[in-house]
Amino acid sequence: MSRPGQSRWVRVVAHAFVGLMVLITLYPLLWVVSIAFSGNQSLAIVDLPPDATKLDRLRAIIPWPATWSSQNFVSVMSDQPFAKWMLNSALVAAGTTVVGVFLACTAAYAFSRLSFPGRRAGMLSFLISQMFPGTLMLIPLYIMLVQWLNLGSSRLGLILAYATTSIPFSVWMLKGYFDTIPKDLEEAALMEGASVGQIFWTVIIPLARPALAVTALFSFMSAWNEFILAATFMDQETMYTAPVGLRFFVGGFSQLWGYFAAGSIIVSLPVTVLFLFLQRFLVSGLTAGSVKG
Amino acid sequence: MAPERAPSVARFIVAGAVAMGVGLVVSHLWITAELSQLGVERQQRRGVVTLGALTELAQRTGGDGEKLRAAAAAWQEGSPVDSLRVVRFTGLSLEASSDADDVGERKAPRRLQKEEKPLYDKGQRLRAAVETNRDEGKSRKDELELEPRPGGGWLVAGPLTEGADVVGLVELKTKAGPAAATPKLTVALGLGLAAVMVVALAAALFLKRSRWLVVALGTLAMSLAVLAHARYATGVFEAERTASDELISQAARAQAQRLVDLSARQGLEGSAPVPGAWDRDAFRHPRGALTPDGLVAPRGEGPWVSGRAVALLSVLTLGLFWLIGLGGAHWFARTAYENRVAYAYITPAMVGMLALVFFPFFYGIVLSFTDANLYNTNRSLGDIWVGLRNYTDILFDFHVTTRAADGGLLVNYANFYWTLLFTIIWTITNVTVGVTVGLSLALALNLKNLALRPVYRVLLILPWAVPNYITALIWKGMFHRQFGVINHLLVLLGGQARSWFDEPVSSFTTALLTNGWLSFPFMMVVSMGALQSIPDELYEAAEVDGASLWQQFRAITLPALRPALVPAVILSVVWTFNMFNIIYLVTGGEPGGATEILVTQAFKHAFERYRYGYAAAYSTVIFLILLVYGVFQNRVSRATEA
Repeated sequence: MSRPGQSRWVRVVAHAFVGLMVLITLYPLLWVVSIAFSGNQSLAIVDLPPDATKLDRLRAIIPWPATWSSQNFVSVMSDQPFAKWMLNSALVAAGTTVVGVFLACTAAYAFSRLSFPGRRAGMLSFLISQMFPGTLMLIPLYIMLVQWLNLGSSRLGLILAYATTSIPFSVWMLKGYFDTIPKDLEEAALMEGASVGQIFWTVIIPLARPALAVTALFSFMSAWNEFILAATFMDQETMYTAPVGLRFFVGGFSQLWGYFAAGSIIVSLPVTVLFLFLQRFLVSGLTAGSVKG
Repeated sequence: MAPERAPSVARFIVAGAVAMGVGLVVSHLWITAELSQLGVERQQRRGVVTLGALTELAQRTGGDGEKLRAAAAAWQEGSPVDSLRVVRFTGLSLEASSDADDVGERKAPRRLQKEEKPLYDKGQRLRAAVETNRDEGKSRKDELELEPRPGGGWLVAGPLTEGADVVGLVELKTKAGPAAATPKLTVALGLGLAAVMVVALAAALFLKRSRWLVVALGTLAMSLAVLAHARYATGVFEAERTASDELISQAARAQAQRLVDLSARQGLEGSAPVPGAWDRDAFRHPRGALTPDGLVAPRGEGPWVSGRAVALLSVLTLGLFWLIGLGGAHWFARTAYENRVAYAYITPAMVGMLALVFFPFFYGIVLSFTDANLYNTNRSLGDIWVGLRNYTDILFDFHVTTRAADGGLLVNYANFYWTLLFTIIWTITNVTVGVTVGLSLALALNLKNLALRPVYRVLLILPWAVPNYITALIWKGMFHRQFGVINHLLVLLGGQARSWFDEPVSSFTTALLTNGWLSFPFMMVVSMGALQSIPDELYEAAEVDGASLWQQFRAITLPALRPALVPAVILSVVWTFNMFNIIYLVTGGEPGGATEILVTQAFKHAFERYRYGYAAAYSTVIFLILLVYGVFQNRVSRATEA
C-alpha cells in the first residue's frame, strides 16, 4: 500500500514490527556465532549458577560469548576430520555441477532448437519426474547404488545420484534461456556452413554463459546442502559430507556444539552469500509465468 | 508406423531369422544355465548327504578320541571324498583329519594353530546360525557352508552336535562328480532354420496377395518352434533332475549301509539311520525329494518350465518378427538416423534420467509389492512377492487409538492415519504462519519511503539462505531442556522450563517455530514482487473515492497479490508436506513417533526398520496423495486465473 499521506504512526508501527522480526530472524544466527567464538563446546553461552538471578538469566540469553576465542574454528579444521568432510562435499558438489550442467545444456539445446519425434514427451517426462517423492526414490537408489553397484560411501555414487536428479531443473532453466536467444545468429552461422555442433559450442554456449553460471551455481548449492541421500549413502566416517558431519557433531549422544557452530559458519557462509546474490533468479524461475506485471 | 513401400520378401526373411535367432538363443542359453545350476546342485547335495552320514558316524563315536579317528579312517575308504576334518570347540582341538597337510607333526589330534582361525570361526559361525534359527523359530541363517574347490568338488562343512548343543565342526572335501548334460545346440538351430524356411516360402508365395497371410503363417511357425524348443528343454531338464534324484538316493542308501556295517564292526551304538533326511537344504531341513528310507519320492509339483516364461519368450520372438517384418524397425531406424543430431544431444541426459530417475521410480513401485528387507535383497522379486499386502497393511489398519489400562484413550502414533492427520495439520499451520508473517512483512516493507528498507530486506531473507539442515540443528539446540535459550527466556519471563520433546504438542511447536522461521522469507519475497507491480494511482483513486484502508486492501491489494500468491502457496504446501529435514532433525518424531510426518515415517521404515518393501508402499501412497493434490490444485489455479 505505497501511497502518499501515510500517517506517522503507521510508519512507527511498521518499523517496530519489522524490527522485531529482524531480531527474531537474527537471533538464532547470532547465537550460533557466539557459540562458535566462545571457545568451548557447551550449548550455554554462560554457565548459570544454581541460584541464578534474573540478571544472570538475562545474561544467558544475550548472544555474546563470555570470552572471544577462535579456538573452535582452529580445532574443527585441524583436530576433527571436518576438513576432509568439506573436501568430500566440495568434490561431490563440483562433480555434480560438471556432470549435471553438461548433460543438461546439450539436452536443453536440443529441446529448445531442434524438432524431433519425442520432443514433447521428453520434456514432459522431465517435468513429471519432479513429482517423484524423495523417499520413494531413496530406497531403490540405495539398493541399486549401494547394494548392486557397491557405491556406498563413495563420492562417485553421490555425484551420479545428485547429477541426474538435478537434470530436470537445469534443463528447464537453460531451455528457458536458450529460447530467448534470437535465432538470427544461428541462421547466419548456418549460411556459412556451420554444423549443429559448431553452432552449439561457438555461438550458443558463449551467449548462454550467464544462464550456465546461474544453473551451475544452483546445482552446486543443492549438492552442497543435500543431507538425506548423503546421510544414507555415506556410512564411513571418513567419507561423510559436511552436512552429515555437522549432524554427527550434535546428533545422538555427542554434544560438540562448539564444533558444530564453527563448522556451520564455515559451511554456510559461502552458500548464504551466493544465495543472496542468486535469489532473484530462483524466485522468477519458480513462479515463472504467474507473476504478470 | 505404416511403411512407405510394400515390405519385401527379403525383409520378412531377415525378420524371421532375427526373431528366431534371438528367441531360440535365449531359450538355449536359459536351459543351459538351468542345467549347469542343476549340475552344481547335484554335487552339493551329494556332498551334503555324505556329510550327513559322516556327522552321524562321528556322533555315534561320541565325537572325539581314538574311536572317532578309527571310525573316520575306515569310513573314508570307498567314500567319494578326498579328506575330512572334525573339530571340537573345547580345547580348540582338531579331533580327526585326513587332510594332506595334517601329517607328521601336524597329525590329529592336536590343538588348532593360529593360522587355522578361519576354520574355528567357521565352526562358531555355524553354531551361531543354529542357535539364532532356533531362538527365532525360523530359518534365516545358513547352517551348512559350501564352497567350490578349485579342481571341481566341494568343501562342505556342518555343525557337530551333542544333544541340542553345537560342540564342533565336521568338514569334508568331496571329489568331483559327474556333471549334468548340456542341451544340444543343433536342436535350436534345426527348429530355427525350419521356421525361417516356412517364412521364406510363405513370403515368396503369398506376399503379393496379402502380407497378413505371411505374417500369420510366420507367427504360427515361430510359435511352434518356440514351443517345441521349450518342450525339448523340459524333457532334457526333467530327465536330468530324475537322474539327480536317483544319484542322491543311491548315495544316501549306500552311506546308510556303510554306517550300519561300520557301527557293527567298531561296536558303535545308534538307532537305524534315516538316509532320506540327509538330503537337506542349507537350513538342515530335509528337501523332501527322498523318502525317509532313501528312495526317490514321487514328485507332486507340476512341470518345471513355467507357462509364463514360455509366453514371455513367444511375445519377445513374435514382437521382433512383427516389428521388423511389418517395417516398424525400419521406421525407427530411419527416424533415429534422420534426427541423429537431436538424439545425440539428448541421449546423455536421457540415459542418466532413465537409469537413475525413471528406473528407480518404477523399481520402487515394484518393490512396494514385495516383502523386500535387509536380509533378502539378493533374492528374486518373485520369491518375495506379496501382492497388495503392504498396501492393505497401511491403508486398512484403522487402529488409530487404543484403550489404556485405566480406560483412557491412547493414540497409536505408528498408524498411517495418525501420521497423515499430523502431516495435514503440520502443512496447514506452517503455510498459514508462512503466508501471514511473509505477507505482513511485505506490506510493512512496501510502505512508501520506509527507511532502511534494503537492509531489512537482506536481513529478513537470511533464513531462506542458510541451509535448512543447519537451521534445524540450531533450533534443536535452542530448545534444549537444560541449556537452551528458549527455556532461559521462559524462566526470565516468569514461566517454567520444560522438556520440549516429551509431549506431542510442545514437540510440534518446536518444529512449527523452526519451519515458520525458515519459510516466511519466500512468501515475503513473492509478495513484495507482486506488491511493487501495483501502480500508486489505484490507491490514490480509491482514496479520492473515500475507501477505507481495509477496503483498499480487499479491493486492490489482494486481487493483485493473488496471481503470485496462489502458485507460491501451492509450491509451499508441497515443500512443507515433504519437509523431511526439519522433522527428522528437530523433533526426530519424538515423543514416540507422535510428530513424524509421512516422509520421515517412510524413511524410518526403510532405514531404521529395514522394511524396504513396506517403505516403498508407504512412499507410493505418499506419491498418490501428492498426485491427487497436484491434479486438484491444477483445477483450482486454472479456475482462479480464469
